[in-house]
Amino acid sequence: MTTRPAIPDAVRLLPFEDEARLFTRLRATLAWETIRSMLTQARLRLSLVVLLSAMFWAALYGLFVEGFGFLDALHAEVISLLFNAFFSSLMVMLIFSTGILVYSGMYCSTEAKLLLTLPVRAETIFAHKFREAMWFSSWGFILLGSPLLAAYGVVRHADWPYFVVLLPFMVSFVFIPASVGSIVCIMLVAWMPRLRMHALTIGVVGVCLIGLWMCWAMFSKATVDAMSAAWFERTFARLSITEQKLFPSWWLSSGLIEAARTGPDGRLVADSFFEALKFLALLIANALALQSLAGWLARIAYRKGFSQLSSEVPQRRRRQLRWFDRALGHAGFATGRPLRLLLVKDFRLFRRDISQWSQFVIFFGLLGLYFVNLRSFNYNNAYASMIGYLNLAVVGLILSTFTTRFVYPMISLEGRRFWILGLLPVHRDQIVWSKFLFSFVGGVIPCCILVLLSDSMLGLPVKLIAQHEICCIMLCMGLSGIAVGFGARMPDLRESSPSKISSGFGGTLSLVVSSLFIMVVVVVAAVPTHLSLLNQAGRGFGAFAPEGMLAWLGGPWGTFCGLAAVIVTGLTATFVPLALGIQAFRRLEA
Amino acid sequence: MIEFDHVTRTYGAKTAVSDLTVSIPRGELFALLGPNGAGKTTTIRMLVGLLHPSKGAIRVCGHDVVKSPREAHLHLGYVPDEPTLYDKLTGREFLWFIADMFGMPHRLATSRIDREIEHFELAEFADDLAESYSLGMKQRLVFAASLLHDPEVLVLDEPMVGLDPRSVRIVKDLLSARTREGMTVFMSTHTLAMAEEMADRVGIMVRGNLRFLGTIAELREQVALESTTLEHLYLQVTSSGGER
Repeated sequence: MTTRPAIPDAVRLLPFEDEARLFTRLRATLAWETIRSMLTQARLRLSLVVLLSAMFWAALYGLFVEGFGFLDALHAEVISLLFNAFFSSLMVMLIFSTGILVYSGMYCSTEAKLLLTLPVRAETIFAHKFREAMWFSSWGFILLGSPLLAAYGVVRHADWPYFVVLLPFMVSFVFIPASVGSIVCIMLVAWMPRLRMHALTIGVVGVCLIGLWMCWAMFSKATVDAMSAAWFERTFARLSITEQKLFPSWWLSSGLIEAARTGPDGRLVADSFFEALKFLALLIANALALQSLAGWLARIAYRKGFSQLSSEVPQRRRRQLRWFDRALGHAGFATGRPLRLLLVKDFRLFRRDISQWSQFVIFFGLLGLYFVNLRSFNYNNAYASMIGYLNLAVVGLILSTFTTRFVYPMISLEGRRFWILGLLPVHRDQIVWSKFLFSFVGGVIPCCILVLLSDSMLGLPVKLIAQHEICCIMLCMGLSGIAVGFGARMPDLRESSPSKISSGFGGTLSLVVSSLFIMVVVVVAAVPTHLSLLNQAGRGFGAFAPEGMLAWLGGPWGTFCGLAAVIVTGLTATFVPLALGIQAFRRLEA
Repeated sequence: MIEFDHVTRTYGAKTAVSDLTVSIPRGELFALLGPNGAGKTTTIRMLVGLLHPSKGAIRVCGHDVVKSPREAHLHLGYVPDEPTLYDKLTGREFLWFIADMFGMPHRLATSRIDREIEHFELAEFADDLAESYSLGMKQRLVFAASLLHDPEVLVLDEPMVGLDPRSVRIVKDLLSARTREGMTVFMSTHTLAMAEEMADRVGIMVRGNLRFLGTIAELREQVALESTTLEHLYLQVTSSGGER
C-alpha cells in the first residue's frame, strides 16, 4: 500500500481562474514581444502588411458600398440572401481552418509537450490553443466581414447602435464554427486517430464537391442570359439553400439586418433592435454552450488523444526511384550531371512535401475551376482581352506567392546543409542555377496551361493567345529569377523554418519586386493590345479612336514593341537578380 | 516515489515496453540504459504523462500519472532531450511562468528563481529572449525550470546533450546534492560513465524488456566478467540473448 505524500506547501494546484489568467498574461507577453521585434527587425514587412490591409479594407468597403447601393435599388431581400451565402460559406471554412489549427497546436506542437508535463488542466491548454487558432483562422473573416457590414450600415443609414453591436455579433458568430471544428478535431483524435486524415479528406472533398455543384448549377446553363434578371432570379433560388434557420449564419444575417433597420425618421426601430438583440443572445448562448462542450471534451479526451497520436508508428514506405527522376538524372551530357542531380533532389523533396504540392494543387485547381466557368459569359473582344490580361496577372500573382514562400527560402535552407554540398564536387553556381530551373520548370507548365485554358474559354484569337503565352513564360522566368536571386543574395542561414525565412526582409522585398514586375509586364503588354482593339472598334462603330502616338501604339509595330519590352523586362528580371545572387553566394562563408 | 506496476506499452503490433515493474525509492538516482529503440524514451514519456500505458499503472508519489496527472506533475520535474522554450520570452520570464504554474507564492518564487539563476550561471543571459540562446543555454534554463519547485522526483531524458563540461559538472554536483536531500532522480542516458559515476541503481533495457535491474556491483556479479568498466558489462548484457 502506497502512502501519498501531502502536496508540499511551496506549490499548489491553481484554481481554473488563475490558470486562465496565467495564460492570458503569457499570450499578452508573447504578442507584445512579437510586435516589438517586428517593429525593430521587420519594419518594411509590418508597414507593408498594415498598408496593404488598409488598402484592401478601403477597396472592399468602396466595392461593398457600390454593391449595396445597386442591390438596395434592385431588391432589398437580395441582401439577406447574400449575407446568408457569405456567412454560411465562411462558417464552413472556419470549421475546417480552426479544426486544423487546433490539431496542429494541441497535438503537434512542442509547446503542447511542455504544457502536458506541467500541473495544468487539459481544458486550460485547450482554451489557450483554441484562442490562438481562432485568432489565426478568423482574421480573414474580420478583414472581409467588417468592410461588408460597415458598408451595409452606411448604405442603409443605420443608427449608431448597429455599429456598436457589429463586433459582438461577429465575435460570437466566429466562436461557433471554431468550437465545432475543435470538437470534431478532439473527437477524431481521441476516438478515431487512424481515421483522422481520411475524415479530413472526406470533409474537404465533400465541401469542394458541394461548392463545385453550386458553381456548376449557377453558371453551366447561363450562356446567353448571364447577369440578366432571369439569371439573378435562378441564382438566388439556388442560393436560398444557405438560408437555413438552424444555421448560425442565418442568426447573424437576420440579427444584423434587424439591427440596421431604421424608421421613416431615420432613427432606430426599437422592436427591430430588440429582435436583433435576441439573435445576438442566441449566438452568444450557442457559442458559450459549444465552448463548454469543447472544454469538457478536452478535459476527458485531450491527454488520451495526445497519447494515442504519439503511439502511432510512422509507416515505413520504400521510396522507389521514379521514372521522372531516373530520366532526368541520365538526360543530356555528363558535364551537366551535378545540376541534374540537384534538380532530381529538389523535385523529389517537393513531391514528398505535402504542404508544398497540396497548396500548389489547391490554388491552381481553384483558378482552373474559375477559368473553366468563364465560358458561361458572352464578352465583346475588348472586354475578353481585358479579362485575359487580368487572368494572366492573377496567375502571375499566385505563382509569385509560391516562388516567395517555397523557392526564396531554398538557398537559405541549402546553406544550412553546406557541410553536405560543400564537400561535393558541385560548383556553387550550379546550386543557384538548379534552384532557378526547378522553379521555372515547375511553374511554367501549369501557368501556361492555365493561361491557355483562360484564353480558350474567353474565345480569344490565336494571336492574342500566343502573346499571353509569351508574357506567361517571361513572368515565370522573371519570378523564378527574382526569388532565387534574392534568396541567394540575402540568405538566412540561421533559420530552419522556410515560412520564417520567406517572411523576413528579403522575402518581403522579393514579393514586392515580384508584384511590381507582374504589373509592369501585364500593363506593357496589355496597353498596345487594348489600343489595337479600340482602333478596330473605332473604325467600325465610330467610338473613341486613338490618334497619333496612341494610334501607332495600337498598330502592329506597337504590339511588337510591347512584346519586345515584355521580353526585355522578363530577361532583366531573370538575369540581374540571378547574377547578383550568384556573386553573393560565391562569397558566402557557411 | 516512482512505481512502474506491470507497465506495457504497444505501438500497433510492436511492444515498446513489456511488463515493466520497477520501484524507485526516495533519494535514489536511477539510470535507465539501453541501445537505441530499447524503450527508454517510451518509458520516460509514460512516466511524465505524455504517453499512457497500454497496460499497468505508473505512480509518482502515490499519484497515478494517468488518473491524477496534475497531482503527479506537482511532484515532478522534467528535463526532455530537446529543450522546449518560448522563443519570445526571456529566460527569467520563462522561469516566472513555470513558478506561477506551480502556484508558488511571489516571495518564494523570487528567491527560487534567483537561486536557480545562480546555480546554473544564467545571469548573463537571463533577460535576453530565448530565441537567441544556444542549445547549452536552453538546456541549462530547462534544468533551472525543472528544479524551481524543488520536485520530489526529477526525470531526465539524455540530460547532458548540449552541455559544456562546466555545465555537466554543475548538473552532476547538483544531482548529488539533491538526491542526498531526498529527491529521486530517474534518468535515461547513453553516457555510461555518468551512470557509473552517479547512479545508485541501473536498469538495462533491450527491446522493451528490462534485462537487468540492480547496482553496478550486482551487474558485475551477474555477468561474472573480469571487466571493470560499465561499458563492457553493458555490451555483454545488451548483446546476450538471455532474459533477466
